[in-house]
Amino acid sequence: MRPLPLTSPGGPTAPAGRRTPGAKVKFATRYFLRLLRTHPSYAAGYVIVTVVVLVAIAAPVIAPYSPITADPSVYLQGPSLAHPFGTDNTGMDVLSRVIYAPRIDLAIAVIGTAISAIIGTLLGAWVGYFQGTPGIRNIASGTTMRAADVLQAFPVFVFAIALVAVFGQSIDSVIFAIAFVNIPIYLRLMRSQVLSIRRMRYVEAAFVSGMPDRFIIRDHIVPNAIGPVLAQLSVNIGWSILLTAGLSFVGAGVRAPTPEWGAMIATGFPNVMTGQWWPSVFPGLALAVTVYGFALIGTSIEFMADPRRRRTLAAAQVSA
Amino acid sequence: MAVVRYIAGRLAFLIPQIIGIVLVSFLLIKAVPGDPATLMLGPMATPQTIAELRAQLGLDKPLPVQFLIYVDKLAHGNLGTSWQTTRPVLDDLRVRFPATLELVTYGMLLALVIGIPLGVASALGKRGPLAKLGGFYGLVAGALPDFWLALILIYIFYSLLGWVASPIGRIDVTVTTPHMITGFYTVDSLLTGNWEAFRSSVHHLILPVLTLGLVNAGPILKMTQATMERTLEADFSLYGRLCGLPEKLVIRRAFRNALPSVITIVSVLYGFLIGGAVLIEIVFSWGGAGQYAVQGVLNSDFNPVLGFVIFSALFSLVVYLIVDLIYLAIDPRIRR
Repeated sequence: MRPLPLTSPGGPTAPAGRRTPGAKVKFATRYFLRLLRTHPSYAAGYVIVTVVVLVAIAAPVIAPYSPITADPSVYLQGPSLAHPFGTDNTGMDVLSRVIYAPRIDLAIAVIGTAISAIIGTLLGAWVGYFQGTPGIRNIASGTTMRAADVLQAFPVFVFAIALVAVFGQSIDSVIFAIAFVNIPIYLRLMRSQVLSIRRMRYVEAAFVSGMPDRFIIRDHIVPNAIGPVLAQLSVNIGWSILLTAGLSFVGAGVRAPTPEWGAMIATGFPNVMTGQWWPSVFPGLALAVTVYGFALIGTSIEFMADPRRRRTLAAAQVSA
Repeated sequence: MAVVRYIAGRLAFLIPQIIGIVLVSFLLIKAVPGDPATLMLGPMATPQTIAELRAQLGLDKPLPVQFLIYVDKLAHGNLGTSWQTTRPVLDDLRVRFPATLELVTYGMLLALVIGIPLGVASALGKRGPLAKLGGFYGLVAGALPDFWLALILIYIFYSLLGWVASPIGRIDVTVTTPHMITGFYTVDSLLTGNWEAFRSSVHHLILPVLTLGLVNAGPILKMTQATMERTLEADFSLYGRLCGLPEKLVIRRAFRNALPSVITIVSVLYGFLIGGAVLIEIVFSWGGAGQYAVQGVLNSDFNPVLGFVIFSALFSLVVYLIVDLIYLAIDPRIRR
């Protein structure tokens, strides 16, 4: 028989314990600032995303022209003082459209990712917790995993286009398609986390003390397994922006004249061949920088979720 | 004997998966609004001719029966007809799938050539400039929209410099296409000694392959770096160093142990790219299978879509099977 330990060995994120909430927040903030100081590229990520969000919110104030009004007298003009990013083949101002686009792109990506993360995480926690336990719930979790296998065997892009076709071409359909193709990612991530956490002593202790399964999942499993999911979120938002742009690029996503980066690149595509690069290059650049910003944030969260690295940085903080 | 049983086990696992894939795509396509019979006959059709065509296509039967009919046809190699090309889907795919495969295979090879050395180098120089470059490259490659990068490359190398052939199709329209043997233009033209076709197809491959290689080297680099860092610090590497093995040998052994995860990411990417290269195919008017499927979806022509999904799923499964065999060859622990 195994002796019961008096102290918990601690999960991946052992609770900070006896500190008061105020001190905890203060410590976390100082730690976060220190991380940004030691890793300037992470700071760049946060700056990029903040700027893009602010630009999207303040678009009507910043944009010099209307994003959907064409002025045929100035079509396909190169970058100039009046039109810093030039105009496209219908005479719309590229800069104004680039400024308005994140309203659509970010909204779709963030909502789509959030839906898939919530559903995927809950399903994953459930599947991971009940897998291998005798009874109907084991069969249900096995079935869920096989269903995820099948969904992931599909070519993502064609699958997403087909989903948009099924539900009609609209922004809602794009959000739904993105949420749907992302669910298996969170499902797997959460499941693998939960599988290792449910063997932890504190989970066993909660079980032995008669805590109902749903409370164990809520209070012990999910909080300790959530780290990698959070890191995935940011990367996934970037990836969803790319998918949205790709869908719009082939004509299965957001339609012109709605300002959207992928659709803008598609509009400028024929012009690039003949040498007018600006209608495609600027939206693509904005798109790439935004996705890069989200990727950097994802890396920084991954760093913070890694207890080993965190300890090194925290030790440096205490001694400093 | 153990190997045969291993493969048989894998295959037994695949069959329900294939059935699942066919079922899901069938249901998905049935869920698309619009009646194919009405679409095929156009606005002038009378209700009677529509009803006749529906009966002929089996559309008047209940859904499970329709599914069984479809599976039965599938088992006989009949993927239906595309009303856009008015040809059997199987014939269309036989030409287009190799086109996609050729593009993706060369792209993948280039990605390996870029990603593995950079990944190993950045794992070795952990805090050095190479590691920084590797980290930067990995993130940037993941952030670039591939269709946009393709446009930039077209602008630079075609519009500005004029170094490559016009970025349309797989071969110049003036050049006769090589006789189809494998479906890879580069291979077929070499086999038949058609040098003009070889040169032209290589020229057309340069930009799309460069795009795919540059973008997909990112994940390979990251995986190589992460795994190499782990194996270099593993106990067996420490032990090797303690025993006085030359560093070169330690690195080689670490790399050998990092190979399985690199091969995993390559197989995943390869399967993904069959459908994921769609955007590149569209930019370069490649005429591949992905482009065929996307046009199918956009024009309510669904047999090509189903055919493509089944083809690419089968392809992924074959790739995974090959990968399992490679594991078996390079990892002696599995054999036991």
